Amino acid sequence: MSISRRGFLIGASAGALAALSTPRSALARGLLTEPALDDLIKRALAAATKAGASYADVRIVRMRHENLSTREDRIDNVSSTEEYGVGVRVIAGGAWGFSATPTVVAGEAERVARQAVAIAKANASLMKRPVTLSKETPHVDVWQTALTKDPFKIPLEDKAELLLAINREAMKVPGVKFVTSSYSAVSEWKLLASTEGTYLEQEIVRLSPGYSVTAVNDKLGEFESREHDFAARQAGWEYVEQAPLIADARRIAEEAVAKLKAPSVREGKHDLILEPSNLWLTIHESIGHPTELDRALGYEANFAGTSYATPDKIGKLKIGSSILDFYADKTTPGGLATCGYDDDGVRTQHWPLVAKGVLVGFQTTREQAGWINEKHSRGTCYGDAFSSFPFQRMPNVSLAPSPTERSLADIIAATDNGIVVGGRGSWSIDHQRLNFQFSGQTFWEVKGGKKTRMLRDVAYQANTLEFWNSCDLIGGPRSWELHGTMADGKGEPGQSNAVSHGCPPARFRKVNILDTNRRSA
Amino acid sequence: MGGTPSKGQATQLLDKVLGLARGVECLASLSANRHGNTRFAVNEISSSADVEKTTLSVTIQVGKRQATATTNQLDDRSLADVVGRATRMARLAPENPEAMPPLGRQTYRGAVNASDAATANLTPAARAKAVGAALAYGKDAQISGFFEHMARSHALASSSGLRAHHEWTTIDVRVTARTSDGSGSGWGGGTGHRAAELDAGTLAKLAVDKAKSSARPTKLDPGRYTVVLEPAAVSDLFGWLTGAFGARRADEGRSFFSKPGGGTRIGEKLFPDWVTVKNDPTDPALTTRPFDGDGMPLAPTTWIDKGTVKALSYPRYWASKQNKPPTGSPAGWILEGGKVSRDDLLKGVKRGVLITRFWYLRALDPQTLLVTGLTRDGVYLIENGAVTRPLTNFRFNESPVQMLAKCDAMTPATISQWVRVPALRTHEFNLASVSEAV
Repeated sequence: MSISRRGFLIGASAGALAALSTPRSALARGLLTEPALDDLIKRALAAATKAGASYADVRIVRMRHENLSTREDRIDNVSSTEEYGVGVRVIAGGAWGFSATPTVVAGEAERVARQAVAIAKANASLMKRPVTLSKETPHVDVWQTALTKDPFKIPLEDKAELLLAINREAMKVPGVKFVTSSYSAVSEWKLLASTEGTYLEQEIVRLSPGYSVTAVNDKLGEFESREHDFAARQAGWEYVEQAPLIADARRIAEEAVAKLKAPSVREGKHDLILEPSNLWLTIHESIGHPTELDRALGYEANFAGTSYATPDKIGKLKIGSSILDFYADKTTPGGLATCGYDDDGVRTQHWPLVAKGVLVGFQTTREQAGWINEKHSRGTCYGDAFSSFPFQRMPNVSLAPSPTERSLADIIAATDNGIVVGGRGSWSIDHQRLNFQFSGQTFWEVKGGKKTRMLRDVAYQANTLEFWNSCDLIGGPRSWELHGTMADGKGEPGQSNAVSHGCPPARFRKVNILDTNRRSA
Repeated sequence: MGGTPSKGQATQLLDKVLGLARGVECLASLSANRHGNTRFAVNEISSSADVEKTTLSVTIQVGKRQATATTNQLDDRSLADVVGRATRMARLAPENPEAMPPLGRQTYRGAVNASDAATANLTPAARAKAVGAALAYGKDAQISGFFEHMARSHALASSSGLRAHHEWTTIDVRVTARTSDGSGSGWGGGTGHRAAELDAGTLAKLAVDKAKSSARPTKLDPGRYTVVLEPAAVSDLFGWLTGAFGARRADEGRSFFSKPGGGTRIGEKLFPDWVTVKNDPTDPALTTRPFDGDGMPLAPTTWIDKGTVKALSYPRYWASKQNKPPTGSPAGWILEGGKVSRDDLLKGVKRGVLITRFWYLRALDPQTLLVTGLTRDGVYLIENGAVTRPLTNFRFNESPVQMLAKCDAMTPATISQWVRVPALRTHEFNLASVSEAV
């Protein structure tokens, strides 16, 4: 630890001294030792305190993005983005205030600190319940994505060649007319310090390769696309190197062509088998969002709505069948929401949301823990940029596998009549997370325990509670896969959050299947 | 809150960037916004912020090789870094046969008085006062919402002589009210470029009235109904049509505007005479720039004229390949309205459904523009020309094409969610399943 940092910490508060006295913080090393940033943080926190803040934190964030996109045999776009800035969040008069600037110098940080306090004070008279934070141990630490190869150091040509090789492979399949492929990498570096003595440096690297193949029947004027199912991940370039992106391209392309020739589904109630590549998004929408505590209590009512799950139903609401255990975490290796500490400075955790089908928990921040009489935050606070107010965001939310080994093939073999859905298609759910309708990328008819033919124009529509209560089979540990999204939206102004969801394949009985074909209309 | 970079400041900075990009073609773009927002929920303020954001984007082209680098740091070292990064990447990138050189000097016609100083300079206290007027309705319902004002600017400069600059302001106010028993929800919202034209208290009253009138809803069987869509509902669906005007996808046979067997549907009459779709970047309330990201001038254009498809949008490369004039990427959309009142729309309905707005719209089929989504914040049964009772929400599976093809009456158009659209009446609208959400 640098002298300047030690000086900062000692000068900051009693909490800082407490943090320093713990063995963990004493071992902390590798923090970016840039005296100018230490000075900026110290002065911003002091300015906030002097202006009347009862709490303040400073986040200095550098986001780097690298994006490549291609179509067929050419590069569409190559871009590199860097964004850097400082945001100050305060509590004054029991209200939040936040202000941010891209000019990372001490004077500007002091100015936005004072502005944040002025905002909080302007709003204080309209507060009915002052903001209160749960008591947490301040941490001084570093955390970073476990990776072998920094993707930002891999030559651009390698990335371009990978994407163009995918396209070449897919274009070999007769009937395929268009292929697009893309690669994006995000590096999120941030330094968080608070008046309580928190001092955390973290760097998170996320990768998202992908492609989509389109088959066209010019004569009929019809087309179908098939997107890959490959999951975005917190990882290094080695994850991309080991991925079967090129190996899968032909199969993905053949499925696009097969889908174009496939019959529409017959509407009605069918048994439904969802592959992990499809089920993760259903979990995200119907379990992940409803267990966000702010949403459940009305704090998202003006945007995404409220929730069927409310705290008074803890221990009572039977969300699904007794074979279902959903858990939240920000600790799963490779998970897009995984990190060491949240933006409140709380160490990340793993906890149950639904146990044996029954609602048992919510996602909380320091502000929210007390709302449900919990002593400590679950550590789910996040702001997506230096300029974004940190608030409750979804951790990784996953479905535990069955303790018994059971594969997708086993589930298909156990099903007389059904439809297997794979991949992420269209998705939509109502503002209390009850009525949903999802589609997919591939749809296979199952007869007598065997996949028979491909179908198209399939959507499944259900009520969340009826749907999860109709789940009667889930796969075992070896069938469990981690999928996720780089861009989950929440809040006003809208913020984006990367989050993973792990699950095995699962079967649901007698689900309402819709035929979405309107081509003849 | 201060302003965004003036035309002079932006020009000076972009000229500096162009000076650093020697021997290569360069397009530099500087976009900036200063925004203040106050979010409220459960009858109190939940967060509030003042934020400055700037993005300098530099696209370098070396022959047919092209790359873009961006930064939000504007000191000399960062400018050199961003130009260097874009140049290095451009030299390494494979050739893009579709790369177009930066545009030269253009003529633009933007909205006059698009920037309103009073909107740009609202203080946190002024925001709190405006939001307080909405929260005052908290005695009648649980009030939530969002109030945001922005000062924005965008400037472009290229090594071929392009110079563009536009400044504008935006205001966005939305209020949701929920009844204390949780059985009713209502919404009121407005967008524009002048804060003085939107009153959070008035929108809160509208939301509360809707919440009360939608409380304790009853179920109606799913099915195809005559519906009256308020402007917010129309704008939600309209966006899926305006997003489909790209000529390339139509030419490639993968768009609603593709003709079976090849070609596009330009010239086909797909809608009734009273359906006209335009865009107008000179309308300040639509808060758009008079140029797109390339610097292409955006001119007022009619895309569907009295029911007939008249135009599709051509980016520069596709325009050159198809030998068509380029249009740029259109913005500032308008669905022309009619002359009847909202009451007149209802009067023509024997049995139908009045819908306030939609939520969570997603494409089901890009070929037919079939979209799914849900009704929200006020759905009512219409019987014999009058609203008779509140209904539970529905999931719909319908397309904006069918919405307009089966439309038989419209009110005058108004601004809703950044576009200008009317309320309208349409038929056989597919309300596919019931949603119990409130």
